[in-house]
Amino acid sequence: MLIPARLVTIWAVLQLGILLLLQQAFAVWMMALFASMLVYKLITHLSGRPAIGLKLVNLIAAVIAIALMFNLRQSGVLNFMLQILLLAAICRLLALKHSYDARQLVWVHYFLIGSCFVMHQDMLVALIIFFAFTVNLYSHFYLFAPSAVKVQWHQTGRSLLIILPLWLGMFLLFPRVPPFWQIPNAKIASSGLSDTLDPGSIEQLVRDDSLAFRAEFDGAPPSQDQLYWRSYLYEDFDGRRWQVNAVRKNRNRMPNITATGTTDNMQYRIIAEASRQYNLFALALPSKVNNDVYIGSGGLIKSNKPVSQRISYQVTGANTLIALATDNERDINLDVAEGNAETLNFARQLAKQHSTPAALVQAISAHFNQQDYYYSLTPPMLGSNSIDEFLFDTRTGFCSHYASATALILRAAGVPARVVGGYQGGVWHPQQGYLAVRQREAHAWVEYLYEDQWHLYDPTAAVAPERILDSLESALTLEQQQMLMSGWLELELLQNLRLQLMHLDYYWSVWVLGFNDNNQQAIWRNLRQHITLIAITFTTLLALIFAGFVFSWWRNRPLNSTHAATLLIQRQLGKLLQSKAANQSMSAFLRQLSAQHPTQRDWLILLTLSYEQAVFNNDTHALKSLQKQLKCNSKRLKILRRSIKNT
Amino acid sequence: MFNLNFKQRLYQRYWQFVSNYLDKRQPAGSTVTLVQKLIFILPTRYGWWFFLLIILMYLLGTNYQNNLILLLCYLLLSVFLLSITMCYLNMSGLTLSTAKPAEGFVNSDIEPEILTSSAKQHMMLQFSLVQHSQLITMPQLERSVRFSFTGKERGRFALPRIKISSQYPFGLWRAWSYIALDQIYWVYPTPMAQITKDNDVDIDDKPQSTVQSGDTLTPYRPGDSIRHMVWKRLARDPFNPVVRQQLTSPQAAPNWVVVPALTGEALERALRQACQQLLTLEQTGKRYGLQLPHQTLPQSSGSTHLQRCLQELALC
Repeated sequence: MLIPARLVTIWAVLQLGILLLLQQAFAVWMMALFASMLVYKLITHLSGRPAIGLKLVNLIAAVIAIALMFNLRQSGVLNFMLQILLLAAICRLLALKHSYDARQLVWVHYFLIGSCFVMHQDMLVALIIFFAFTVNLYSHFYLFAPSAVKVQWHQTGRSLLIILPLWLGMFLLFPRVPPFWQIPNAKIASSGLSDTLDPGSIEQLVRDDSLAFRAEFDGAPPSQDQLYWRSYLYEDFDGRRWQVNAVRKNRNRMPNITATGTTDNMQYRIIAEASRQYNLFALALPSKVNNDVYIGSGGLIKSNKPVSQRISYQVTGANTLIALATDNERDINLDVAEGNAETLNFARQLAKQHSTPAALVQAISAHFNQQDYYYSLTPPMLGSNSIDEFLFDTRTGFCSHYASATALILRAAGVPARVVGGYQGGVWHPQQGYLAVRQREAHAWVEYLYEDQWHLYDPTAAVAPERILDSLESALTLEQQQMLMSGWLELELLQNLRLQLMHLDYYWSVWVLGFNDNNQQAIWRNLRQHITLIAITFTTLLALIFAGFVFSWWRNRPLNSTHAATLLIQRQLGKLLQSKAANQSMSAFLRQLSAQHPTQRDWLILLTLSYEQAVFNNDTHALKSLQKQLKCNSKRLKILRRSIKNT
Repeated sequence: MFNLNFKQRLYQRYWQFVSNYLDKRQPAGSTVTLVQKLIFILPTRYGWWFFLLIILMYLLGTNYQNNLILLLCYLLLSVFLLSITMCYLNMSGLTLSTAKPAEGFVNSDIEPEILTSSAKQHMMLQFSLVQHSQLITMPQLERSVRFSFTGKERGRFALPRIKISSQYPFGLWRAWSYIALDQIYWVYPTPMAQITKDNDVDIDDKPQSTVQSGDTLTPYRPGDSIRHMVWKRLARDPFNPVVRQQLTSPQAAPNWVVVPALTGEALERALRQACQQLLTLEQTGKRYGLQLPHQTLPQSSGSTHLQRCLQELALC
């Protein structure tokens, strides 16, 4: 069977779309290569040239496949699989001749479209992917139907009405099982904070307006200055850069300590965006989490595998201090590294004046507050003794500068201290009931040890209290605020639209992406609880439908069997019908009447003719004239009836 | 039967079994409407592949804990399930009825026709006759279906079961139905030109031939009556037996076509000649009749008469 030319165009465009959707899985040269192959196919196809020979295509495919193999280590197994699949699909299309080839093509398309969801879960992109699915389904239909057959939209609509409940019912009720085996994850650059904290890394991050995670609270949300979302602990300092200690990288779980004597337990749920990292977010000290995450050492929440798609988890936590875990932890947080001599001197002086860590911290705050220190998104570049330069020279910095300087001063003064990386604050959307935390809210602060407990201290609060109490924008000058806005986002309408989309996306992620076996069990429980109610409703509905059927059947039945004209005649003839035999037809009876009564013959014959016309031709005109005739001859009919009575 | 290989024999057995089953389920009728008990549905090969796709999607969605892939998987599954209903609805309600019997000669094309009608639309239907290779595809339903095949032997035959199948809408399921209709077709003997007296057998060397006028000598063929054997000739030439044959020569009985009582190949030959005679007689427009060993059709003319005569020949 020949393949309609139209379908080839559709497939080429569809494959271009899939290529764009899977773009993260492809290196630039692959994108270029695949796209050019597709464009070539489109051009040759539209200009009516025949498909390329199979041998040549196989050769091309083999060469590219080998090139992809060499790239296997860089791209990872999942990406490699997608690359090979798309390569196969494109080559199939290039040499497409028979309809059975096309069937394989459509099959592979379905699979590729499904794989797009590994990369994208946003609502808008998901809609685009479902659209691609529809296009593929359309081409699937025409692969089997001759092009003379038109899609019947009426029937399609009806089918949709059946499919929708079936589809959603299966999604909601079909049992969910845990993953069968470990699967390769897509190798994609991670987003958000990282294992190292350079002076300057957070400034880069806050220019990113994308969402980091959302949080919902059971009860009222904590106040803005309590929202310190801990994500990373930086404990190794090399004089310039902070790094995560090796202890934190292993999968140690935090020993299960139940916070003693605390009543202010917090319950909240986090819906984290895909970051391709292990570290997640928590407030203060979490005590219980669910799903695929665990509480690692230092009270950080981590995922079992890199977060490659949106995940949600429930946290129970207490707003208490985190205790010292081991003596080793104290030791590593006293290391001051080499360099930054001025800072160390300054710290020792402070230590002499202030004996307790609390007083020391107060003094540091006062120092930042009273001297002219500036909070800026664009601090000057720093050299190797970065903290000396910042504290005594440039005096302009972002949160990471203040945090690392403070941590070093505290360490030099003999107080164990570390830098904490995470997010501070967030935008609360009261109507939707969630807190949106964007990359913009990335922040760094300090924890110091006192009486074997880690206390939180945020030096940025001393320099730019607005940052903590309100938002980043309010702490910056107008000029620097401009830097955060990228071009078109300034339009208020567009910003509004974006916000609405974010809210929609929130519901999408809660109801669609976040739907898990817990929700499903809840649905089943609900169904079981209300089983009688459901059964009653269902049977009532069925009974109503049945009654409706019976009623319409009953109404239509007599009309169908006896024609209106027959009914009319029966009514008019009345008692005359007594002489009609049961098996005699009405028109035969009328003819018999006309034979019996020669005087009435003429009009009876006419009556018979129009009766026959009305019944057998289903003629409405004849029915009308029949009525007229009956009316005109009502007197004669009366005579006839009387004559019957007399005999 | 013996030169069939094992697979073919197995198929024969299978088909025997199926047709017994079908005969019980649907005896032949003059009008048959496709209803639930006549329609079978099973996935096509592509349907199985599609099912595999659904399973793969489910594995992918479960292993990635990705609800969107699961959504797509369930959507595919609902399409898969719905196409059963659509495929069935596309077949049901189709009414087949018998038409005028087809007729033709042995070794020529015979084109039996059946009438199709329905209250709704049917798409992508395929018609074929059981154990015939011809496949008729109809994107949309037409008034009738005309098959075509070559007649193998003469006679009156019932049309084999008609296989109607459809893969509407996605080629995932095939609905099919074997329908027996009370439809017959006729295969008449192929017309063959007359054997004249002077060809075939040379009788010139025997002027005192025992051959009577109106008779002719032909080589013996299996089935020829022994009573017609020319024994004298057989004694002289035992390897070429000759029979005396009563010929329906036009001059003897100009408007009577006579088929003598013979069997086997000799009968076939006589029938073929008779067929030719009937056709030529009908062309001349004269009245003619047919004399068969057990039956005589009175003289008449016209296409109906010719048809009647040909049918008698086919049945003889």
